[in-house]
Amino acid sequence: MAMPGWKTRLTDRQRRDVLAYIKTFSSFFADTTQRPEPIKFSSAPGGGSNAEALKVGRQFYDSIGCRKCHGDQGRGDGPSAPTLKDDAQHPIFAANLHENWRFNGGGTVEDIYHRLRTGLDGTPMPSFSDLIDNKFLTDEQLWRVAQYVRSLSPKEAPVVRDVIHAPLAKTLPHAPDDSAWTAVDVYWFPLVGQVIRKERWFAPAVTGVWVKAVHTADSIAVRVVWDDRSESPDTAWLGYIGRVLATLDSDDSTREQPALWPDQLTVQFPVSIPTGMERPYFLMGSSSAPVYQWRWTSSARGTATAGLARGIDRFDPLANGGVNAQAVFDHGQWRVVFSRALASADTASQLPFRTGRAIPVAFFAWDGSNGEHGTRMAVSTWYFLALDEPVPARVFISPVLAMVLTLGLGMLVVWRAQQKTSYRR
Amino acid sequence: MRDYIKHPFWQAVGLLLIAYLVIVFVIPLLPGSAIVPKSVVLQYMATVLVGVLIWVSDDEARWTRFKEPLHEVLIQPRLKLVRNGLLAAVTLIVGCLTYSQVKASVAAPPNLRSIHPAPPSQITFRGTTITLVGLENPLRKQGEMAPHVAEGRRIYYQNCVPCHGDHLDGQGHFASGFNPLPANFQDNGTIAQLTESFVFWRIAKGGPGLPREGTPWNSAMPAWEDFLTENEIWSVVLFLYDQTGWKPRTWEVTGSQESGAGGGHE
Repeated sequence: MAMPGWKTRLTDRQRRDVLAYIKTFSSFFADTTQRPEPIKFSSAPGGGSNAEALKVGRQFYDSIGCRKCHGDQGRGDGPSAPTLKDDAQHPIFAANLHENWRFNGGGTVEDIYHRLRTGLDGTPMPSFSDLIDNKFLTDEQLWRVAQYVRSLSPKEAPVVRDVIHAPLAKTLPHAPDDSAWTAVDVYWFPLVGQVIRKERWFAPAVTGVWVKAVHTADSIAVRVVWDDRSESPDTAWLGYIGRVLATLDSDDSTREQPALWPDQLTVQFPVSIPTGMERPYFLMGSSSAPVYQWRWTSSARGTATAGLARGIDRFDPLANGGVNAQAVFDHGQWRVVFSRALASADTASQLPFRTGRAIPVAFFAWDGSNGEHGTRMAVSTWYFLALDEPVPARVFISPVLAMVLTLGLGMLVVWRAQQKTSYRR
Repeated sequence: MRDYIKHPFWQAVGLLLIAYLVIVFVIPLLPGSAIVPKSVVLQYMATVLVGVLIWVSDDEARWTRFKEPLHEVLIQPRLKLVRNGLLAAVTLIVGCLTYSQVKASVAAPPNLRSIHPAPPSQITFRGTTITLVGLENPLRKQGEMAPHVAEGRRIYYQNCVPCHGDHLDGQGHFASGFNPLPANFQDNGTIAQLTESFVFWRIAKGGPGLPREGTPWNSAMPAWEDFLTENEIWSVVLFLYDQTGWKPRTWEVTGSQESGAGGGHE
């Protein structure tokens, strides 16, 4: 559950009172005669973002065992990740270190250092203070680990921009790691649990998608990148799936046996570009107003299926979908490129893409190793995709005209003023 | 320096500068205010400019002195550089402004949504017809309120908290994923303006039950009749008012439908 920030809602005194009350919950604090020595935190050594410091941080990230749970690239996909349980024996994910805005203990270098010193109670995250006491590493080296971890996330938490701009390109990059993608603007969209229709899903694994798009004169490519701890189906995660399913409330979900579900991603558009405000229902349309979708699954990763969804539980594939897909799984991240011709033969059910229009788009993702399939998924609301047109020459006519006029008028004013003055002289 | 401070032209420039700094940097710092939108800044600055012009032209001598530097720039041979620089700058600014006006960029279409659309006079709840007009929360006539509120609290925390949040302020951990954002019950523009029957209707029928002006295709509000019983919904309604301290709007004695309609646009 989301812990809100109480700073603005409670006074300092009230917060301390709550703190004292909470401490009565645990026998740990029962003996009030004890005066534990608080840990004194040092302050961060400088130069935390230079290559040498990050190298030291990375070295100790490996040697103190961070990567066992958080993974080689820090996406929470380490070999121990599928075995993790919290103190209540519920399954728990190792944090994805690329999303510092989601860290339970806060996302600054200081927050991360503090968590390394104290651990996170209730979770498998341990304290590493003993390693300093044992002289396995110095305090400064632990700070370097914190700085390395911080460097994995963007400088600022991503902000949603509503319209994905797809620039015009000469050729379409079909491969997810084609170098042509580096020059294209990236857009981030948050995904949240599907809590609208039975069976609901309160703990989605995919927290957002990073989207890029380009188009040529006749085709479009959309690249969707998202972090996923497992290349499902993966037998290493079967036990984890079982523990996830065991936590489900029986009044909302039917009991089911764990299975090796694949990862999935769906890109959704309306059947045609809407002219007014009205759109199909964002959660996969309805029987009367279907949506056009591209569905990709990790069990057939080189293909995508185009079809019409008529509500959350009905998907009808189209015979000649014409959608291609290429996918890469790399250290806890899927990168999938969808491509299709702009025009479509079947304009009644397959969206014809047109330039210069705001085309509604939405995204849905499933992590099979988190027990996600069917209605248990992460969803987004409607956003927009715009295929940008090259700037036509006529756009420059009016600015140039305005500039010539302004300059002429200005010179006239100057000339008149000077004439008048010399006349008076 | 003192000459500049006393000169009406530089005083006018100074006033405009101070006004700009106050509008852009000081106003957002005041409690309860936000960053001033650019269009509003422009309006404020235009008003200040008119005021300043009235002040400098109010006195003949001041007006003459005010014009001096402007005139100097236009004619003085030693100010040729400043003159040409100003001409070039103004021309460039006009060019850029015009370009930003005419260049086509696709923006998200405006989303005109009626926040509190007029409710229907009756709804079908799991097969039974409920008349909304004049409808009161039946739980308010059923003994002690505390158990009903406790039941509503339990249901709220089991179902509503991911979007509407711990604080009932629409800032649950799933809120950022949806547009429109989940309703903020602490705000004086939501349940504080509505009758309990209206809130019951919104909970029972959710996003899909909105009329067209409520943009039902965007709303992530579930139709709770699929999950909760009539009494469970009434207990949540009771909890929302109890927890926020708002009083529901009541039906006028004459029973006019208007009083329950709420109203207002985004």
